[in-house]
Amino acid sequence: MTKIRLFAASILFFFTLSLFSQEQQDVGGLMEIIIKAKSEKFKESVNFKKAQIFFRQSNWDSTLVYSMKEISDAKNKELIDYCHYFRGISFKEKKLFNESKKELNEISNNFQFFYKVKMKLGEITLAQNEFQNALQYFEEIEKLPNVSNYDFKKSTVLHNIGLCYLHLDKFNKAEEYLFKGAKLQEIEKDTLLLIGSYMDIANLYYNQYKDNLAIPYFEKGYQLSKKVKSFGIKKTAAMNMAVVEENRKNFPLALTYRKEYEKWKDSLNDQNKVWAIAELEKKFAIKQKQKEVNVLEAENKVKVAERNGLLFSSVLLLILFGTGVYYYRQKIRNNKIILAQKDELDKLNATKDKLFSIVSHDLRSSVNALKTSNSKLIENLETKNYTELDTQLHNNSAIANGAYNLLDNLLNWALLQTKQTYFSQESLHLATIVKHVEYNYNPLMINRNISFENRVSTTDYVFADMDSLKIIIRNILDNAIKFTKDNGKISIYTRDSDDDFCYLVIEDTGLGMSASTQEELLKKTALLSKKKNDDTIGTGLGMQLCKSMIYKNGGRLEIESEENVGTKIIIVLQKFKNHG
Amino acid sequence: MDNINVLIIEDTPAESDALVKVLTANNYNIVGIAPTYNEALTLFYNNAIDVVVIDVFLDGKPDGVTFAETINIVPNGLKPFVFLTSSKDRQIFERAKLTKPFSFLLKPFNELEILYALEMAVEKFYGQTNVFVSEEQDTVISDDYLFIKKNKSLKKVRIGDIVYIEVEDRYCNIITEVEKFVILISLTKIIQFLDPNKFSQTHRNYIVNLSKIEEIVVNDNLVVLKGNHKVVLSDKYKDFVKKFRILR
Repeated sequence: MTKIRLFAASILFFFTLSLFSQEQQDVGGLMEIIIKAKSEKFKESVNFKKAQIFFRQSNWDSTLVYSMKEISDAKNKELIDYCHYFRGISFKEKKLFNESKKELNEISNNFQFFYKVKMKLGEITLAQNEFQNALQYFEEIEKLPNVSNYDFKKSTVLHNIGLCYLHLDKFNKAEEYLFKGAKLQEIEKDTLLLIGSYMDIANLYYNQYKDNLAIPYFEKGYQLSKKVKSFGIKKTAAMNMAVVEENRKNFPLALTYRKEYEKWKDSLNDQNKVWAIAELEKKFAIKQKQKEVNVLEAENKVKVAERNGLLFSSVLLLILFGTGVYYYRQKIRNNKIILAQKDELDKLNATKDKLFSIVSHDLRSSVNALKTSNSKLIENLETKNYTELDTQLHNNSAIANGAYNLLDNLLNWALLQTKQTYFSQESLHLATIVKHVEYNYNPLMINRNISFENRVSTTDYVFADMDSLKIIIRNILDNAIKFTKDNGKISIYTRDSDDDFCYLVIEDTGLGMSASTQEELLKKTALLSKKKNDDTIGTGLGMQLCKSMIYKNGGRLEIESEENVGTKIIIVLQKFKNHG
Repeated sequence: MDNINVLIIEDTPAESDALVKVLTANNYNIVGIAPTYNEALTLFYNNAIDVVVIDVFLDGKPDGVTFAETINIVPNGLKPFVFLTSSKDRQIFERAKLTKPFSFLLKPFNELEILYALEMAVEKFYGQTNVFVSEEQDTVISDDYLFIKKNKSLKKVRIGDIVYIEVEDRYCNIITEVEKFVILISLTKIIQFLDPNKFSQTHRNYIVNLSKIEEIVVNDNLVVLKGNHKVVLSDKYKDFVKKFRILR
């Protein structure tokens, strides 16, 4: 019974020892170099980088977290394999063997360190006492060619196989493998493992009740254990010796070993306690750090939010400012336009007022002249001075005519401005129209002894609105008569032309006008001016009306004049061609 | 030659008096003066009217336009007309314009203008524009009458009264049973407008009224017409004889 118990203890101790040494070698070896290289190669994968750093630092929890992240993100098969490997090892270290197995089984066959996976699986199954399975894994590894190329010791594999056989009670095989392992370890001078090997060999013999063979190995192991620092090994070796001495009934010696065993056990416990405290402190420190990190993260978040808010609000302000400036400028521009329009309107209104005053003045003087003339007429009638009557009546009629013309122009002007006139251009026989207008002025011209000549070509047809054309000719003719002295001459004729226009010339032998006056008259917005002719105050309305109407008919006005010689007013009108 | 019959539709006596004075002075025959729409219609349909002078506004209402619209509806009864108005109201113009043919006269107008307006109305109505103002011609041809400009006024001659027409250059001698006169019109135009069933050319210079033929002397190349007018029948136009049923 005791033997069995001792044996079990020995194996357990041996295991922890064996796995521990294996890990140390792992991380420092070939794999680390390759992992580092991979992390360099896949720089952009932050999670992998972190995972491998934590892995190398044996920080298993963090490794698990980051490798999980990497698995969920990464597309690269190789990286995923690495991550599974990290997770497998991490779980194994945390004694979660089933999880560990699962992860390791996820790894694809192409994985560079696939043999390591096998090794780990073997170790796990061994730890779970599934010796048959473990044996399979280890034998697979042993069969690998050139085992020495790999970064683990063949001796360990041999040793593990031996252990499997030992547990399966195949002592012969066990003996063979254990010795092979021990021999290799002796060559490699790996004391720690060698002690384990010796102990296991001793156990092997002891289990077979070959005490004589066993005891020397126990002693060898014990002697070697004195040279190493591991309390666990020292403790196991001492315990084994104690059990051996007890069985040999050498109780004092057994007691000594027991005491030594207790001593090592205490030391181990102390060490464990120290470790545990250190672990606690470490955890505490980590927590503290984590808290700090959290605080910093929160601060960062707040800062980012603040910065974003600031940026957003500043952009908003800028836009607001921009639109403000835009509308302000728009407003200024509008104001300018409005101001300009106002000025123009003011000017126009002033012109209108002036026109108003001149027209009323004109009318007033006309009516006043009529009034005085009429009273004279009555006087003459009473005195029966009939000879005067005729001239006075003619005079009256002339005044009334002038007033009528003025009013007519005023009406036409108003209608034109308000666009109320009926306007319809058609083919007109120019000579006839001129005759119609001239007809009204014949008596006046005869009265003033003005010779009149109408030489308008009877073949000329113009394209114009009849009423407006009559108004134009009437005004020009009226002006011509007004500015022509008695016994003067007025002629109306058409000039020959090749273009599409008809040139109607109204020529008088009147006052004529200066170039500046001509220019003034032809200006589009000529202001009303007092005429040079002293006693005739004109409004200039007639001329304005003529120009507007000529333009409306698609024609234009030209003036040829020489002071004190005469004036030619030329009305240029569109010809009408398609007459039948 | 007869005078032109004019119907005046005008509600202001002063205006109508002036019109009557001017028109009678120029040998127009005033058929009547209608101051209202209804009277105008009565006068219009009970008399032979050649031209109507219409004041747009009768008693402040645009009944003149209404009258024109009314006579426009009956196509055969339609006659040339002239609108008189002192208003430059665009709306009225637009409405009146729809009643074609269309001639407008703005008050105040002088003698020349009203005569011209009447001539224009006749010209436009019979679709022969620029006749009376030109120097080449002076006659407008309707179905029943020739309207001829004599001096300042317009005259008419019933086409049925014409015995024959003699062409001389740009002139045509019109010979009726009672008179003879010269009009300015081209041969082509007169042939174009005269009814070929009633008139026929017998010679390069002669057009005869078929109903006025008394005798055709083929051997002498002569056509004897009413009033003992004799017209030459040239070989080129002898075919016209075929129009008559020849008794053998």
